[in-house]
Amino acid sequence: MSRTLKIKIVLLIVVAVASMAVMGVLLSTMQTNLYLDNYTEEIQEELADLPDRIGSADASVAETTRSFDETCQTLVGSIGFMAHNNAGFKATNAKMREYKDLLDVDNVLVVTKGGKIVAQAQDTLADFSSSRFNQLRTVFDDGKPSEAVEIEVPDKDWLMRYYAAQIDDNTMAVIEKDPTELRELIADAGSTASVVEDITVGQSGFIFSISSRDYLVEYYPDASLINTDALVHGVPVEDLEEGNLSWMNIDGQRYYCGVTQIDNMYYVAAIPESDMTSARNITVGIILFAFLAVMLVVIMYGIFAMREDERENSVSTETDEELQEVRTSHFNRPLARKAAVLSLVGFILILVVSFYMQTLFALSSESVANNERIKETVASMETSLDRVETLNDQYGERYLPTCRIAAYILDQNPSLENHESLVKLADVLQTENILVYDASGTMTATSSAIVTEHLSDDPDDPSYDFTLLLHGEVDSVVQDPQTDENSGEIWQYIGVPLHDASGKVDGIVQVAVRPAFLESLLETAQIDTVLEGVKSGSDGFAFAVNRDDDTFAYYPDPLLIGESVFDFGMTERELKDGYCDYLTIDGTTYYASSAETDNYYFYIATTEDELMDERVPLTLVVGAVALVCLLIVFFLLSFGPKRKIRIYGAGDPDAGGSGRIIDVELPGGRTVRTDSAASRWLNSSFAWNERTAWQKTSSILRWVLGIFVVFVFILVIFQDQIFASDSIFAYILGGNWEHGLNIFAITACIMFICVAVTLVVVIEWLLSLLGGVLNARGETICRLLRSFIKYATAIGMIYYCLVLIGIDTTTLLASAGILSIAISLGARELVGDIISGLFIIFEGEFRVGDIIKVDDWRGTVMEIGIRTIKIEDAAQNIKIIRNSDVNDVINMTKKYSYLSIEVGIDYDESIERVENILAEELPKIGERLPAIIKGPYYRGVVAFEDSAVMLRIAVQCEEKDRPQLERDLNREMKLLFDDHEIDIPFPQIVVNTPTEHTKATEYEKYRAELFNEEQKEASKGFDENERTSNDDD
Amino acid sequence: MVRTRRWRAALVACVVLLFCLALAGLVGCGADDGSASSGTGTLRVGVRANVSGFGYYNEEAGKYSGLEIDIADEMASRMGYADVEFITATPETRKEQLLNGEVDCIIACYSIADTRLENFDFSPAYYEDVSVIMVEDSSLFDDIEDLKGGTFGTVAGSNAAAQLTERLAEIGFTSGEPIKANEDNSDVLFDNFHLVQLTSYQDLSDALEEGTIDAACMDGAISYTFMNDERHLLDFQIATQEYGVATQKDSALSEPVSETIQGMLDDGTIAWLIDKWD
Repeated sequence: MSRTLKIKIVLLIVVAVASMAVMGVLLSTMQTNLYLDNYTEEIQEELADLPDRIGSADASVAETTRSFDETCQTLVGSIGFMAHNNAGFKATNAKMREYKDLLDVDNVLVVTKGGKIVAQAQDTLADFSSSRFNQLRTVFDDGKPSEAVEIEVPDKDWLMRYYAAQIDDNTMAVIEKDPTELRELIADAGSTASVVEDITVGQSGFIFSISSRDYLVEYYPDASLINTDALVHGVPVEDLEEGNLSWMNIDGQRYYCGVTQIDNMYYVAAIPESDMTSARNITVGIILFAFLAVMLVVIMYGIFAMREDERENSVSTETDEELQEVRTSHFNRPLARKAAVLSLVGFILILVVSFYMQTLFALSSESVANNERIKETVASMETSLDRVETLNDQYGERYLPTCRIAAYILDQNPSLENHESLVKLADVLQTENILVYDASGTMTATSSAIVTEHLSDDPDDPSYDFTLLLHGEVDSVVQDPQTDENSGEIWQYIGVPLHDASGKVDGIVQVAVRPAFLESLLETAQIDTVLEGVKSGSDGFAFAVNRDDDTFAYYPDPLLIGESVFDFGMTERELKDGYCDYLTIDGTTYYASSAETDNYYFYIATTEDELMDERVPLTLVVGAVALVCLLIVFFLLSFGPKRKIRIYGAGDPDAGGSGRIIDVELPGGRTVRTDSAASRWLNSSFAWNERTAWQKTSSILRWVLGIFVVFVFILVIFQDQIFASDSIFAYILGGNWEHGLNIFAITACIMFICVAVTLVVVIEWLLSLLGGVLNARGETICRLLRSFIKYATAIGMIYYCLVLIGIDTTTLLASAGILSIAISLGARELVGDIISGLFIIFEGEFRVGDIIKVDDWRGTVMEIGIRTIKIEDAAQNIKIIRNSDVNDVINMTKKYSYLSIEVGIDYDESIERVENILAEELPKIGERLPAIIKGPYYRGVVAFEDSAVMLRIAVQCEEKDRPQLERDLNREMKLLFDDHEIDIPFPQIVVNTPTEHTKATEYEKYRAELFNEEQKEASKGFDENERTSNDDD
Repeated sequence: MVRTRRWRAALVACVVLLFCLALAGLVGCGADDGSASSGTGTLRVGVRANVSGFGYYNEEAGKYSGLEIDIADEMASRMGYADVEFITATPETRKEQLLNGEVDCIIACYSIADTRLENFDFSPAYYEDVSVIMVEDSSLFDDIEDLKGGTFGTVAGSNAAAQLTERLAEIGFTSGEPIKANEDNSDVLFDNFHLVQLTSYQDLSDALEEGTIDAACMDGAISYTFMNDERHLLDFQIATQEYGVATQKDSALSEPVSETIQGMLDDGTIAWLIDKWD
């Protein structure tokens, strides 16, 4: 290797390494910034939404607490009412126990203003004289039940809420109620967990909260972190500031975090770095890989070509007189041309790969985000509906005891069954209305001004249920909330029976409640309320389609609501669960994800987001860097110091090779090197040095491709270990995208092909190993298996990929049926040709440029078409043969051909003499005929013919020279034998001079006639046939 | 042939190098700047273990954290110590710990007070705090006057009790003269109020929850830990407290500690740390 070349190689490697580094850094920085920008936007959006979410959760907590307190106040208030209205109230421990059971509370007491306990159902930990209970004493000021006082001392196992109601000027009724139930409700409805646990930021990011007071983690997806010190887990205190965006290390994982402070809580939206890096690394990695492959191919090709060039020219020149030295310019034209083509193709490849990867990851991250968002939307829809349901139950639960208390009071003092008392009772019990019916079902008293009503006997009437109470069939009736037809308000009726003194049912009491909160909640559960609040990215929105009539149930543009979706460009295909692709509404194309509930299809639609917008600039930057790098490499390759090239006069440039690489002339006149036919089926690889530059480069390309394929194979096979289940890659592999001609299907095809190819290669390799140790029969089976696996995989691959691309498989199968009919109807030969053509190409029986012999036609393959092959003979006649007729092919592509001629000598001739002459003369013939590469050689006696002893003479020559050489050699042999008077026997015909014959006399004619007649007569009766057969035997 | 082999080796090396480079693109680079502490010796610092934001000991992690911890770390490193050993100091024990030399200095919400200046040297104040009165919402107390006849609770060892009495006397709430006291002064009856001293802030908080005391007096810094939705602070400040680093009287450390803290105050380090832990 020359010094110049060494320097060049070093330079090229430096350029390659430097350009890889530049490209890598540039790409990852750009990608990271892009993702960070995107995530920052998302984090800020989510955090901006948080106050609303927390506000509504707080409202819900307040409502739940209020409802709990109201219930308890009703209970304690009812004791006050009983005391005031002569309903059997007595300040005794026994009565208190009765009330405790009736009211279903933990303790009922009567306490004086000073805090002295007058009566109690059971002992209490509370000291009512302390200022802690001042709140309870407010009953003496306004006469209303007090607000709650809650005491929690875990050490004493003391957790109670206290409520009081005034009995008289100096005493009050106090109840103790364990608020565990309330706390559970609050945890369900209003805890931080309930607010943030459904929020997903990015693909798998989340929001967690830290108390700003003591830095304890209040909520974290991993429950083991809850109530532990956030600082211990690595959350940096200085980053916990409103609006701060930073990287945090939490328990060893890096997160990109945004912080907001609401009240005494820091909310941190955290996106794991892996979310970003997995997508970024794969994008960057694959683009870099493509870049590497292109650089490698161009550089390696250049290096190999230059080395080849150098080696050929460095052959010792002293003995070869015909060698000419030509000084060429600095510009290596042939190499430059090839390098330019390679660089151009490579450059386009890099652009395509870059754009493809950007699109893939932009779209999949959008898909993942949209799918997450739609899940959240459906979940919040369901949560709303669930809450309506829970609240329904809660109202029933809350007001049934109230109704029982009303019944208890009215049983104790039936004289209260009048309008005025019932108004007071309704007020104490905080119900809208109390209605009393007698045993016949007729209303006797009510707190409202409603006209007298009678319970219906009609089972279809809503009031019929209450008549069952009168018959003692049920103990209580809790009606479902019903919307009043006139007012549109929601009302709920609850009833229990009344008893006379002897305990017999003598009527019922109904309480009517108006669950106003339920009303507002039902409203929030309305589809438009839920969807209105849904945002996705900068301009994403949600809409819903009614499943019954395919109309828009909700759309941001109110004009579309109620219209058929088909009128606005949607198609049947898009109306399904889990749709995730582009769709067009009213002329605008959105990228959308869908989900299905009982009544609706929900969609999240976004216009192309930032990642998509950034594709073109990113690709251009990548392209620009690649272009610069390739240009540098190109100039390094094409320009160099002036060099000498060698013009061949004679001699063998391939001396020393094994003859497996030969030059063939393509029909266009270009000479290329190829490997000989025989070597194509040999498994053993070439010695590296025997290869051409292009072969070396292509093996490098093959390795690179092989590495890529195996890499993809590993990614696909071990996806569960490598990728999180909600990552972008998992989405691509998951196959939940739309089947159709989209980027996901294409990617999946590529991945599938990579996996299949890897498996097939491994299996083939194993089979060939196995074949090597088995006998001939086993080897045949192995080869058969290999080719079967290869074709089965190819067909399976094509079929699967077609399915992925969205071609209906059943149609495909049906069309296969149609295909077979078509074949039987006459297209068979055409199909046969095509299939044969495919086989020729797949099996590599011969290639363009090979010399083959089909039937008796010998020539160079010009073209292998899908239907025919074209073979050109020595006379430049072209024979076109249909592929299906290509049988009995002899591939004669080899380095040298052998030509033998046979020549006969007389049986009388001395073979020894002839051999002596040949020994002397053959080398001279060899010199005279330049087409002879080796020989001629005497091959011995071939046969004894009728009139000659056949000798064989053989020479080695180029295949293309054979026909002419055969003629030349025959001529030489004839001349040689003539010189030495050796006869070449030939068939001889002996010609005789005609003789004058004597004519018969008249007498002789007569005698002959006679003889004939006589003989016929004599042989009469002989069976001629029999005799003949006998003779034959 | 040898040449060929070398050539091929070079080729393989080149391919491997380029490929590694491609892989390197896949793996992000992380930098870790673990700066080793310089200096020698260990500074033993008495710190609080239960005041979050100031000195809080997490048993699980075995780690102290908070403003005072950061101050101690920074101070020790500026003074040239290689390491800092934190020792939990409670209001009751911190005085003895420092006097006995169990700790070199105290950074434990220790306010600079004349009585303490007799025994210790203090650095310039790094934090200014007010002591506050915490009451339960349900007691309906809004004004200090509502607490006449009530029971105040403080934690033994803090100077809140003395400050409270002084301040109450100042506004004419009380004469300030104890009427009756038990042996260890943990239960003192004044003309208009009752003052009890409890052993820990948790006890103080529990007593408030149960209603055995009507109001709890504590430092503002500590009140954050025990504040909840059902409590509030009276709009009444007992006294301003200034926290300083305490060292033994006239010890060799006193001077450098004061200088270091002054330096940290001057260059904004302390302000930054306070903001960090806010």
